[in-house]
Amino acid sequence: MRTQEGVVRILDTDTGWDEVTALEDTQRAVLNVLDDFGTEKARLESTQQAVLNILDDLNAEKSKLEEASALLKGEIEERRKAAAQLEAVNKELEAFSYSVSHDLRAPLRAIDGFSLALLEDYTGQLDAQGQDFLHRVRAGVQKMGQLIDDMLQLSRLTRGEIHIAPVNLSAVAREIIEEQRRNDPTRRVEFLCADGLGASGDGRLLRAALSNLLNNAWKFTGKQSETRIEFGTTATEDGPAFFIRDNGAGFDMAYAHKLFGAFQRLHRAEEFPGTGIGLAIVHRIIHRHGGRVWAEGAVGKGAVFYFTLPTSATIREETS
Amino acid sequence: MKDDRVILLVEDNPDDEALTLRALKKHNIANGVVVVRDGAQALDYLFRTGAWAGRDPTERPAVVLLDLRLPKVDGLEVLRRLRSDDRTRVIPVVVLTSSKEESDLSQSYALHANSYIRKPVDFAQFAEAVRQLGLYWLVLNEPPPYS
Repeated sequence: MRTQEGVVRILDTDTGWDEVTALEDTQRAVLNVLDDFGTEKARLESTQQAVLNILDDLNAEKSKLEEASALLKGEIEERRKAAAQLEAVNKELEAFSYSVSHDLRAPLRAIDGFSLALLEDYTGQLDAQGQDFLHRVRAGVQKMGQLIDDMLQLSRLTRGEIHIAPVNLSAVAREIIEEQRRNDPTRRVEFLCADGLGASGDGRLLRAALSNLLNNAWKFTGKQSETRIEFGTTATEDGPAFFIRDNGAGFDMAYAHKLFGAFQRLHRAEEFPGTGIGLAIVHRIIHRHGGRVWAEGAVGKGAVFYFTLPTSATIREETS
Repeated sequence: MKDDRVILLVEDNPDDEALTLRALKKHNIANGVVVVRDGAQALDYLFRTGAWAGRDPTERPAVVLLDLRLPKVDGLEVLRRLRSDDRTRVIPVVVLTSSKEESDLSQSYALHANSYIRKPVDFAQFAEAVRQLGLYWLVLNEPPPYS
């Protein structure tokens, strides 16, 4: 503006046309510069707008992050609560099984003890039938005692820690069969055991699983004249699996889904004794190791039990 | 069997008490069994307090048969108190319980129980255990010298 005023002042005085032309040129140049400033200003304004937009975006991002973080915090809190609840439930379960172990046994002991006292002290006053009844009372008590023990064993398997180490399954299986031979020396049993079968797992639990499977094989072949029990590995759809095969009583595949349930039995007690807990124990042990167990069989044609165990130690932790 | 020493039976279940006494009697070791029915009574007897304040101090149990689950003061607490007092530290204690819990077993031994017998459901087994333990603690075992 000051330049323009200067120009006008010059025009007011007695200046010549040449000077006017020069001044006009100057004025145009100045206007051009002003124009350029305007463009520059607009550019700056749009840059400013862009920066403001970015800041807006950042703010939106930030509040999203804050929301997510609050959500996570909530989830962590919920999980902490769930873990505390689980621990409380475990404690309660422990107290419950303690009470089962202690309190359920006491009345059984009384029933058995006084039945025995009657048998011993009043034999003369009881005829054969009376004595038979008392023997039946005592047998019932033993059965119930066994059921309580089995239930406790099953519940203990889901508590308790597992200690992972290499386990020589072949050696364990041979020991179990040797023990059966000592307990039951009249049986003729051929045991075919593959060498060097191993897995990584809890030695105590895997022994319990093998012992239930092999003792079942031993039990359900009891009516065969020639018993054959096999322990080995085979390829299955699930990859390599261990198997225990016997030529015993077998089972109807229609009931295969019931085999691994607690207290499920597919045979009458007079045929083959048992409480129906063994395979439930096997199932729980294999499951805790992250493996799978299943069975194939046919009535009178024997049974095959398959199980997988992880090669590395991917063990399910079910306890707190 | 020696007559001068008593067995202290700490048992709250009257059935178990009757059956234990019967088992002891059957093996001629029933003389001198003192029965108390909770942990507080057991401590009164052992430390001659309360109802047992006038007890003859020379009457010392040859062995305490201690149930773990007791009213008022539980068995492990009785054992802890016994073991932390010079007068009763050396009295042999046999823990008798229906519990099969490992924690009971390990705690009992940690508190220096001399023996741990699980009352089996089969009473014949229990009677045999009682017979052996009576024989052992009353006849074979040399008692600690009392000061």
